[in-house]
Amino acid sequence: MSDPPKKTFVITRFDPDVDEVPKTQSYEIAVDPDWKVLDAVNYIKDEVDGTLSHRWSCRMAVCGSCGMMVNGEPRLTCKDSVSQYGDTVEITPLSNFPVIRDLVVEMDGFMDKFKKVKPWIIRAKELAAEDGPVRQSPEELEEFKQFSMCINCMLCYSACPVVSNEPEFLGPAAIALGHRYNVDSRDEGASERNAIFRGEGTVFSCSFANECSEVCPKNVDPAAAVNQAKFNAVIDWATGLVLPSGEKE
Amino acid sequence: MKQFLLKVEPVIWLLFGQGIMIGTMLLTGWVLVMGVLAPLGVVDSLSYEHAHGLASSLIGRVVLVALIALPLWKGAHHIRSLSIDFGGADRDTELATFLYGIASVGSLLAIVAVVRL
Amino acid sequence: MARPAHPQAMQPVKPGRTRTAPPTMPPQFPMTGRYRAYTLFDATGFLYLFVGFVALRVVWALGTGSAAWANIQQQLANPLYIGFHVITLAAVCFVAVRFFGLFPKAQPPRIGPLKPPPGPVIVGMLYAAWIGITVLMSAALMGGIS
Repeated sequence: MSDPPKKTFVITRFDPDVDEVPKTQSYEIAVDPDWKVLDAVNYIKDEVDGTLSHRWSCRMAVCGSCGMMVNGEPRLTCKDSVSQYGDTVEITPLSNFPVIRDLVVEMDGFMDKFKKVKPWIIRAKELAAEDGPVRQSPEELEEFKQFSMCINCMLCYSACPVVSNEPEFLGPAAIALGHRYNVDSRDEGASERNAIFRGEGTVFSCSFANECSEVCPKNVDPAAAVNQAKFNAVIDWATGLVLPSGEKE
Repeated sequence: MKQFLLKVEPVIWLLFGQGIMIGTMLLTGWVLVMGVLAPLGVVDSLSYEHAHGLASSLIGRVVLVALIALPLWKGAHHIRSLSIDFGGADRDTELATFLYGIASVGSLLAIVAVVRL
Repeated sequence: MARPAHPQAMQPVKPGRTRTAPPTMPPQFPMTGRYRAYTLFDATGFLYLFVGFVALRVVWALGTGSAAWANIQQQLANPLYIGFHVITLAAVCFVAVRFFGLFPKAQPPRIGPLKPPPGPVIVGMLYAAWIGITVLMSAALMGGIS
């Protein structure tokens, strides 16, 4: 039986107690052709170097934990086969994020941005249970459904050149989520969110690079959401000029 | 200034968006004929009388203002975007003021230019 | 090595308990992979700014008089100007193609009761408008319309 194929994984390492700056470490291992990239990283941690730190969970592209840069592109490592890569595979932590250790990035900045967009149904007046359910047609659902599919994997933040350079920018996933609620027929909080969309971290900072949508593993198309949000924010602003505040329908 | 820029952002975005859309559509024929074919002699350049007659019609004046002004806003906004992409966020307010200032002055001059035709 | 991102990029409001390595930009930025088209798209801003001011000079000359008009025609015949306009023409076409491709997805699902037409229809309308306006503009500038 022939030897199983080998690949070299060049992985970024960073231990804040020891390293000034991140460095790389190479691991040459035999790979099973059925493996995903995550399987290789897990093998390295389990069998070769137990000090390697990385996040992962579901192994089936629904939890969003295992995002890393693979050969310079943000990927879900549980989704990519090792066989789609060549003999050398570079794995680095997600771009645009501070790095806590090895392949683990600081996520709290992402959570901060999420909270800013008020990602919940806002009603002018809460309905009582006796009022019954709020009905929503399939057509109304279609208007926002795709934007609700986000698994918070942060690949879009990794790809966005505005996130890289504008710390206040809300970013693709947060804006997509806010837009998802703005467009939801049950929600009545669009004015509130549009005010946030036009404040610090403004949606207008988006330069339509479209990279977020290119790397999204769930076809959420955050670029569509952000640019639709710009349009809606302008309409909100224009109607605000014409109608005094408080008289919006 | 930063707050002012945030406040007028919808206007800037609309001008920039139309700069891409209408500006691009208007510019193509203009650049092709005025910038390339006529100077190269492939077509005859317009006589003064003909050009002046065309330009001083109402539609001519409106088109010329759009042709001059809208690309300036597209240009200003994209140069600002490029600056941010290359690490210029910390001086963004100053640069944006400068660039949109240029676009504003150019737009005003465009109006003056067609009025004085 | 990837360029450094802004030192505050994605920093949390409340810092973590350990020292972090600073964020870096996506390594393919600015001129590798898809970023190249994006960077060039933004860079066309310079050309648009210049061509707007050149157009201003032309219209200004038209308003000054026939001598100024003849003068500006002569200046436009300078090879540098022609070269600039050739590059700008390519840039304008590049901007149009990229923008028309992205435009449909930027339409909100509904404005009041109005729904936008399907994506391919929007793209078709944009190209039709572009070609139509270009033909009209070219015809006018070649003396075909008075």
